[in-house]
Amino acid sequence: MNLAPVLDEMEESFRERGCDANVATMTIVVFFEDPAIGELARERIRRLASKHPSRVVLLDGTQGDAMHRVEDCTWIELGVKESAPEMMRAAVATLRAADAPVVLLWIARGIGSDPRFSALSADAQTVVYNSSLLDTGHDALCELAAYVERNPDVVIADIAYLRLAPWQESVAIFFDGKASLELQDLERVEIACGSEPEAFYLLGWLASRLQWTSESADALTNRAGKHITFEIDRQGEPRRIARIALSSSQSRFVAEIDKSQETISLQVTGSNEHGSRYRAIENPGIAALVERAILWGQNDRIFRAALAAAGEILAHTKG
Amino acid sequence: MPDETVAARAATTGDGAAANPLREGLSEDRITNPCSAVFFGASGDLFKRMLLPALYRMRLRGTLPTDFALVGFSRTAFDDDGFREYCRQQLELFMPSGAKPQGTLWEDFARRTSYVTADFNDTSHFAALKDRLAQNDRDFGTAGNHLFYLSTPPPVFPEIITQLKKAGLDKSQNGGWTRIVVEKPFGTDLASARTLQAAIEAVFPENEIYRIDHYLGKEPVQDIIALRFANTIFEPIWNRNYISNVQITSAESLGVEERGGYYDHAGALRDMIQNHVINLLALVAMEAPISSDADDIRSEKYKVLSAIEPPAHNDVWSVSARGQYGPGTIDGSAVKGYRQEQDVAPESNTETFAAVKLYIENWRWAGVPFYLRSGKRLPRKLSEIAVTFKPIPHRFYGESTDRIESNVLVIKIEPDEGISMRFEAKVPGPKDHIRSVFMDFNYGTGFGVQSPPAYERLIGDAMLGDQTLFTRWDAVERAWEIVTPMLEVWQNTKDFSFPNYAAGSQGPESAKKLFSDWRHL
Repeated sequence: MNLAPVLDEMEESFRERGCDANVATMTIVVFFEDPAIGELARERIRRLASKHPSRVVLLDGTQGDAMHRVEDCTWIELGVKESAPEMMRAAVATLRAADAPVVLLWIARGIGSDPRFSALSADAQTVVYNSSLLDTGHDALCELAAYVERNPDVVIADIAYLRLAPWQESVAIFFDGKASLELQDLERVEIACGSEPEAFYLLGWLASRLQWTSESADALTNRAGKHITFEIDRQGEPRRIARIALSSSQSRFVAEIDKSQETISLQVTGSNEHGSRYRAIENPGIAALVERAILWGQNDRIFRAALAAAGEILAHTKG
Repeated sequence: MPDETVAARAATTGDGAAANPLREGLSEDRITNPCSAVFFGASGDLFKRMLLPALYRMRLRGTLPTDFALVGFSRTAFDDDGFREYCRQQLELFMPSGAKPQGTLWEDFARRTSYVTADFNDTSHFAALKDRLAQNDRDFGTAGNHLFYLSTPPPVFPEIITQLKKAGLDKSQNGGWTRIVVEKPFGTDLASARTLQAAIEAVFPENEIYRIDHYLGKEPVQDIIALRFANTIFEPIWNRNYISNVQITSAESLGVEERGGYYDHAGALRDMIQNHVINLLALVAMEAPISSDADDIRSEKYKVLSAIEPPAHNDVWSVSARGQYGPGTIDGSAVKGYRQEQDVAPESNTETFAAVKLYIENWRWAGVPFYLRSGKRLPRKLSEIAVTFKPIPHRFYGESTDRIESNVLVIKIEPDEGISMRFEAKVPGPKDHIRSVFMDFNYGTGFGVQSPPAYERLIGDAMLGDQTLFTRWDAVERAWEIVTPMLEVWQNTKDFSFPNYAAGSQGPESAKKLFSDWRHL
């Protein structure tokens, strides 16, 4: 990998910009190996960089080492198909904006096993992953849970988890005030979702917040020893939750997306019956989620606990 | 599973219910308290242009509590359906495309919206309001939490407050909270502000009163605290040793528009300097609060305002200047003078421009002048705080013909939002020429987003019970005390030079006598 022409083009581009002051909040390093995902990533990262001015280093795993492209000294693309992990790390070290943090967006599998991930993540202040991007199953989530367990100090955020925010808020609304007493009495959770990571994260979040322990492939146990059965139903759009229902002996709490896909309706029947409520789903785009990952998702202990709980539940499921 | 703090979170809250452990760490947990919000003056301009769109945006963003109800309370006759239709029409007008009222969220918002046609002097109408709030508690789970928003003309405030008390609405009957938001202006002078405060505090304690100054909800204003106290490079030089003067400007290119009737009794000093501009001064000059708690910040703001000695009446003309615009040209178009505006007296003595020089008599700021200016029909809309640093102590560099300017840090509030720094640099070449360069940070390009409207933040904070961005009575009172000598002297002295500046000009000549280095508008 020869960075000399890249640096020359950056310098030329910088001269062309004249004396305009430049603001850089971070260096975003993106790695991908799938050409289709690469195009998507380019578009989303451009949106992110337009809000948070950044130097973007796009490591294209589909292109050979001869490929490079420099745009406006803030956007650099390098082909890294044949590059050794340490070469990639050194390239990023050369091209990153001085004094600005490095955020690594790893859009590939192998988070726990790929030496390129190990090399690139070593210099990153934040790693952003998306466990439901490459397939709708739960393998990537298992891989992430295992990696984080082995590397507890890595600063990492998962887009799949961050996507749950409106659903977490919706479920929390059910148990504000006196209804919170019913949390101890829950006995069943049903989740319908287009991809498994989001569903397991939602279940893991509930389990970790309520101190439920994983018992079997379809049940958890609360602190009093009471069983909570669960069911995850693959339904609807990938990466979207369609519905979550929680049942206690006295009430049933259902949060469900409406036909417009823009609103979650909240219904409670039984002893805590409540009139219909609605809240905006406000599905944020990937750019907004990455932003959230960078600003708020860093080693969030609630996320860590949800991931660990999801990992344990999945271990039973796979077992 | 990781050991979380569920046991601690399960401790009971004040109302006997257990705390909700699912709330912890949620990124969207800003407003969870259910509430009914009552808008007095709901058929007025402020409600339709600002408050209603802010509420609906909050609904679309998911920040409004799901258990929410809106009650309009005003003189204009509407039934519930009529008011809902009125709200829909206003949202059609004032919300951007993509956020128009439609679908499930609008239907739910409309269902939770109702109206009481009212005479503010009629106790029975407040009894009807009480019934409506009780009904909201039952139908919409608003839990006895009531937010009263006074968006009527100020003269009606005391009557509304008295009636709330009479109707027993000053305290929630169901163990919920009651808060009252009071729009500016808070009084028309020191005496009337004290009278209004007496009326309010007879009914509501200070921790339930939210005096709104929408300037404080603007992102760049909040960023003043971040700039000063989240950086180490500014605070060490933020004092009399390094700062030569501070200029705070709030300029508008617009005239009085349809507000002539109000403005002719107010003027620039009351309308802008006493509240917005003095609030900016307090944020720029206050000491570091011991925490981000509302009262810690507000105490520091009050302390710094207490260190400003209002001028003696005899000194008013040497520390202030006033002006009134005459006909002129703005953006290439001829505009009429103030006295020709609708609802303005033809011989009006009201100032449309005010400039004041103040000193803060404390260790940090002794001897540093703070220049405040605000006016209408100036060349452009601009709000900013310019901090000018002292000149270099000894010159040895640069060509003798070069002028070495002082460093200036500008906090830009409107229309640009950001920070700009002027410093001196060598001009490339064989000679040692020096020229000023500007380093600019704009929120627009820096963060690539538009700041959220101020009212959204402020209504949300009031629902949340966070008073940080609302002005405490002691600071309001102090601000009135500071401007009172100018108000009294100006009021009692007819200015025969009015109109003394042309619309579109830099303001009156008298302001230049006060301070020759005003930044160009």
